[in-house]
Amino acid sequence: MRDFIKVAIGILIAFLFYTIFSRVSPSVLLLFNILSLVVIYFAVEKGEVFGSCLGAACGLIHDYFSFGVYGVGGLAKTATGYLAGYLSRKIDIGPPLRNFFFLVVLIIFELILWALLYFFIVPESINTGGGLIFIQPLSTAFLGSVVFFFMRKLTAKSKY
Amino acid sequence: MPLFLKERKNLTILIALIFFHFLLISMQVPLGEKASLFEKTVFSVFSPLRHGIVSFFKGIGKVWTNYFYLRNVKSQNKKMEEEIFFLRQENNLLRNAIQRFQSERELQERLLEMHENILSAQVIGLDTSSYYKTVIINRGTLDGIKKNMVVLDKNGNLVGRIIEPISLKEARVQLVTDDASGIGVFSQKKSVPGILTGDGEGQCLLKYVLATTRPDEISEGEDVITSGYDRIYPPGIKVGRIVSITSDASLHKHIIVDPYFDFRYLDQVAVIMKSPTEIFKD
Repeated sequence: MRDFIKVAIGILIAFLFYTIFSRVSPSVLLLFNILSLVVIYFAVEKGEVFGSCLGAACGLIHDYFSFGVYGVGGLAKTATGYLAGYLSRKIDIGPPLRNFFFLVVLIIFELILWALLYFFIVPESINTGGGLIFIQPLSTAFLGSVVFFFMRKLTAKSKY
Repeated sequence: MPLFLKERKNLTILIALIFFHFLLISMQVPLGEKASLFEKTVFSVFSPLRHGIVSFFKGIGKVWTNYFYLRNVKSQNKKMEEEIFFLRQENNLLRNAIQRFQSERELQERLLEMHENILSAQVIGLDTSSYYKTVIINRGTLDGIKKNMVVLDKNGNLVGRIIEPISLKEARVQLVTDDASGIGVFSQKKSVPGILTGDGEGQCLLKYVLATTRPDEISEGEDVITSGYDRIYPPGIKVGRIVSITSDASLHKHIIVDPYFDFRYLDQVAVIMKSPTEIFKD
């Protein structure tokens, strides 16, 4: 029950972020992929099945905000959630630098998968926001590393 | 459970989820058709939440404006009074000009009809994948909103039309800058017809103007207004201004139009509450 509350809070924060910035400054949404961070965080904590299911849910939200074809974002995030959970079991992603590169690789993977699906289904050019989308993996990974670092400290403190 | 069996189970779940997504995508193809039940359901579930969040933050903004940001109110008030004075003069001049062609009664009827058929709305969301395609407004079927109703900005310039999905209190608006839009238009001076479509990047293209059209027939700086030929947009609404006309080897000129509505200030819009069938029946 506690896990679901944590997930719900994470999704709500992401939803708030998307709603506010889609009106104030849509470019920020291209820089930071908050929904993917939520998926990756809980995939690492709870495993690949949880990650892929959460990816499906967060992907639907992403598709809703992009007014796109439902399922494109979902598929990309489902695969990302599964990969995050699977890789986190195989390698130690505790150290901050390794965590950062782990996030960079996953965000790039999701971006490429999403772009390929988008081109295949909706043969239109993607809004790159003047190149901002290419910085997304780095900026999202940086934000994610910082947030995950503090989240883990908080979790460790609450345990002891 | 042995590890390989657990991994097999996890992979099965992943494959099931991927299959579900492919099914979901295939339900929505071909694109451009009526919104599917799934799309309408998701839109109806998430839009009220978005609406609520935007209203909450606007409420906080109002508290700040009404109770804290009271500096310069007096000088702003004075400026507005002056502006109202000149607008009244302009209004009288225009009324006098129109009355030469219409009786007072006809004019009053027309103004009252316009007033009754306009619904104001707020923009509560943008398309995060492409800002210039669609927006969401805070009006829906409960307010009488229907597909293809025309949307204007606060100055009466064309913004777009209502498209699906439409929920109880939210609706999607296709902007004139969407590359999937198509509007029958004229140039203002010599009424050269064409189809206006968006370029997906904030401007519009006026298509199907023959390359043989002379410069005195269509030129840069000219206004573009709706023609009504598409039977969706009423005639005579200002859309934009021609900013560039070039010719190449093709049959038609390459004309770029800057829309009049300002995307940065697209907060308040007006919906014409008559569907195209009702407008063109009149």
